[in-house]
Amino acid sequence: MMRKLALVLFSVAVLVLASCGGSSSSTASKPATTVVLHFWNAYNTTDKEASTMANVIIPRFEKEHPGIKVVSDVFPYSELLPKLLAAISAGNPPDLVRSDIIWVPQLAQQGALVPLSKDLPGFSKLAKETFPGPLSTCEWKGVYYGLPLDTNTQVLFYNKTDFAAAGIQNPPSTLSELFQDAVKLTNPAKHQWGLGVDGTDIWNVSPFIWSYGGSFTNPTYTKASGYLNGPTTVAIITKLVDMYMKGYIGNDFLGGSGAISGEQGFPKGQYAMYIDGPWAVATYQQSFPSLSYGMEPMPPGAGGSRSVTGGEDIVIPAGSKHIKQAELFLKFLLSPWAQLKMAEVGQMSVLKTISNQEIAAVPYYAPFAKQLLTAEARPPVPQYTQLDTDFSNGLQEILKGAPIQATLNSVASQIDALLAQNGG
Amino acid sequence: MAVEEFNMQHTTLYRKKVSLNMRHLFPYLIILPGLIFYLLFTVYPIYSQFQISFLHWVVTPGAVSPFVGLANYIQAFHDPVVLVAARNTALYIIATVPPQMILGMIAAYLLVTKIPGAAIWRAAIFLPVITSWVVVSYLFSYLFNSQEGLVNGALSVLLHKDIVIPWLQDTWTANGVIWLLAVWKGIGWSMVVFLAAFMNLPKDQIESARVDGASSLRVWWHVILPSLRPVITFVFVMLVIGGTQAFISIFLMTQGGPANSTQVMLTYSYQQAFVFFNFSYAAAIASIMAVLTFGLSVLFIRVLRERG
Repeated sequence: MMRKLALVLFSVAVLVLASCGGSSSSTASKPATTVVLHFWNAYNTTDKEASTMANVIIPRFEKEHPGIKVVSDVFPYSELLPKLLAAISAGNPPDLVRSDIIWVPQLAQQGALVPLSKDLPGFSKLAKETFPGPLSTCEWKGVYYGLPLDTNTQVLFYNKTDFAAAGIQNPPSTLSELFQDAVKLTNPAKHQWGLGVDGTDIWNVSPFIWSYGGSFTNPTYTKASGYLNGPTTVAIITKLVDMYMKGYIGNDFLGGSGAISGEQGFPKGQYAMYIDGPWAVATYQQSFPSLSYGMEPMPPGAGGSRSVTGGEDIVIPAGSKHIKQAELFLKFLLSPWAQLKMAEVGQMSVLKTISNQEIAAVPYYAPFAKQLLTAEARPPVPQYTQLDTDFSNGLQEILKGAPIQATLNSVASQIDALLAQNGG
Repeated sequence: MAVEEFNMQHTTLYRKKVSLNMRHLFPYLIILPGLIFYLLFTVYPIYSQFQISFLHWVVTPGAVSPFVGLANYIQAFHDPVVLVAARNTALYIIATVPPQMILGMIAAYLLVTKIPGAAIWRAAIFLPVITSWVVVSYLFSYLFNSQEGLVNGALSVLLHKDIVIPWLQDTWTANGVIWLLAVWKGIGWSMVVFLAAFMNLPKDQIESARVDGASSLRVWWHVILPSLRPVITFVFVMLVIGGTQAFISIFLMTQGGPANSTQVMLTYSYQQAFVFFNFSYAAAIASIMAVLTFGLSVLFIRVLRERG
């Protein structure tokens, strides 16, 4: 009997040890002199982004900084934020994160990031070298919690074959010409829409709204009423909805995963025009080498040629155990050499100074670099994701038949309440 | 002699005592590992979740998370999206549980009657059960895609005209697809449980009912179904609880859209936490779900006991 008891106790002990032993192994047996930095990111692993970071950028940094090792931990984009939140709340975050620009004010508000403009020596010099649009996404209440790492924007893609078939010589030179062309380019018999708009969220509709002269909030991001439901914004939304109702804009406009996205439908001739970022070019080179298309900055309306700033910022979580070493790596990532190396594999640089070298290395960046000069950031407030969801849902209701002005009025007052949380 | 005898008696007594203790202790030792996991990964998170739901929780360790009392619950009861999510969760259960049970039972019965190719049918019906939710959700997204989906393609061929139904972009067609996926994926599980139950049917009773001239319908109604009652209740309870946990298919196929109209309680809670960072509000929504699920379970178990 005692033997049986011993056996049971032993197996229980093994199980308990096995269940809590996971974390103890990682802290053991490291030479005291080497600091290991963990750099979390969502670099693309199917093309060369992740491998260039791991095999080109990091080795050179480690060579220049003996005693520091950097591990690049790559996650799928959709898993990065939930994993990061779990690590932060557990008090064990990574040392650096390549964060989507829209997460930075949100994380800053949670007190989860190192305030770089206070903590990083030489911050203002670095900040001055970067494009102002991307830099603005790092600021929350006058303090900068990150620096831009890579950037992008969307421009108009147009199918030259479809344009020729419709008898149109040139890409549209104004926003109203874009809508006129979209009508001519729509061909239901061929399942072809003139224009693809990939959803009702701000990323997808802001280039149209801003170029037309509309806006989502006031310039200081404290109020949406009078802007999101103002006459100019209502006019451009009315135009987009009308184009959708008449079948000139594809049903990807309603979003979700229920329709073909612009990037999939454009090379197959389903959308004659759509807007997209520089990554699409790499995809088309690989998968659709014979596709005949052109790219132009957004055709200007009353608001000029305006598009939306995308990209990522580099941030240091407040709970990092090696902030000083992390700052060295952060500065290295913003060096012209590292920026150019990453630009060659699809990550447009945030440095104003190397724009020409970048375009020489990757000629197809030219229309994007031009567009970046006037591209705007989405409202850089902690409530952005909620603001975006409220707007997107409102526009979906409108596409389903809800009255435009009344719906936008109620969305605007919802967003006013969100922005009021920031105390002006 | 006397001393020896006493010693002998004492030893037996002692042995008996040990074995008695062991007999009491043994079951507890057996459940201990499972219990530790249960306490650590189920009870503690639920406790934490309730705690967080009364705060304005900030993710950073050491930061102050102010106590807000019932504010998050009051907000939830006034939130129109919670109402839609609760409606959709209830409809999900109503629309998916009965078909899974009925079709599972029919499939099990057909397999018991030894239709040709039973092994293949059994495997085919059970395969969706063991396939990952992620895979089948993407599969259904493709099937019901408005432009390139197989369903619209097949309809176009059958009806000789262009069919472009935006299945996943319309409230009720999207909910319909979500329910269809749940039923298709779930039939196999009910089937297996009913299959086991059919093996243990009282054959002599069925035989004698038949001999006495009862019709098939009467045999089903008066003999087979009553003897299946505990199994039916079990399947029902498990499926209802499973229905309250619906998440992956909606999260991947519609993201709760269009305009929140396919949101269920768990997708909405996830959105509040991991997209909006409203952790405490998300915890309050999840806590309401936890209380409802717990209440339902207690109710069902009581019914099950009374009937049993």
